[in-house]
Amino acid sequence: MKLSIYRFDPDVDEKPYMQDYEVELQEGDNMLLDALLRVKHQDDSMSLRKSCREGVCGSDAMNINGKNGLACITRIADLTEPVIVRPLPGLPVIRDLVVDMTQFYEHFNSVDPYLKNDDSLPETERLQSPEDRAKLDGLYECVLCGACTTSCPSFWWNPDKFVGPAALLQAYRFIVDSRDHAEAERLENLEDPYRLYRCHNIMNCVEVCPKKLSPNAAIVAIKDLKIELSKERGEDKPAKKYLELSWVEYEKR
Amino acid sequence: MIIELLTSKYPGMRIWLSQRITAVVMAVYSVLLIVALLIVSPDGYAAWSDFASSFLFRISTFLFFICLSVHAWIGVRDVLRDYIFNQTLRTYLQVMVDLLLVIYVVWLSIILWGL
Repeated sequence: MKLSIYRFDPDVDEKPYMQDYEVELQEGDNMLLDALLRVKHQDDSMSLRKSCREGVCGSDAMNINGKNGLACITRIADLTEPVIVRPLPGLPVIRDLVVDMTQFYEHFNSVDPYLKNDDSLPETERLQSPEDRAKLDGLYECVLCGACTTSCPSFWWNPDKFVGPAALLQAYRFIVDSRDHAEAERLENLEDPYRLYRCHNIMNCVEVCPKKLSPNAAIVAIKDLKIELSKERGEDKPAKKYLELSWVEYEKR
Repeated sequence: MIIELLTSKYPGMRIWLSQRITAVVMAVYSVLLIVALLIVSPDGYAAWSDFASSFLFRISTFLFFICLSVHAWIGVRDVLRDYIFNQTLRTYLQVMVDLLLVIYVVWLSIILWGL
């Protein structure tokens, strides 16, 4: 199998370059990550991140033949050779396929990705009805691999200001959570002209998400919710109408 | 209320919502214009002139153009902010676009009301 891999070691190289590799696949090598690990055997100076090798940890997000994805769940059979592998676009390269995701995590942190609930602690856990739980489907599955955010032109142009699809999906995940009581505060937090509104529905995020989620639908839902909230302002209530829809119903609309 | 969202208290929402509202107005106008043309089906100079000089046509076309200008202003502004990094050049281009839009609106008023 032929691969062309982006190489850059800032300590040694002046400029990044593409290096060609040819590896012998063995039985059981089904995913691109298997092939990359064969390359790693051949040339151990080639660096990449990986951990769970089954699409759960989100470490091995990279740009594969021009499209962001997780190497561990990208089938070799679906790829045209030579497979061109580059690091995620729009983030600083630390070395080869390893990028600095600090900015990505800063945006994630900026949406307060944790439950806010000032009620006194119940004896056991905070309960949710099956319907309320269903609203989190299509949101909680995100593994924060960064494939969506780094494929988003709005993020490329304003990486410091636009929060990006991954973090906005997470913001919505907590906004609709029935156990969270900070909906209004969370919606206010996204009022800046860049943080949320730089999304122009380009849809690259939906196209690349390895978990088949739709950050764009979450962003549209946040915008709708902000309008709904304004109608009920003064009553100190979240926009119930939309919150009562399950996520799956919302996506269908 | 919705109107409140268009104030400077909501800097992000204001821009986004204005673009959506103007888009809806333009879409409605376009459909109504086609329907009106189909119903009236003006034939000849006199009929067209009558059609174009009715108050409803003038005011709705004027409203359409105002919306088009606001819509275009926001769109071009976003594009300039994304792609032009030189502050001086960006300001210059933005002023040119603003000026052009104002000229269009004035020009349209002259056409519509023959001022």
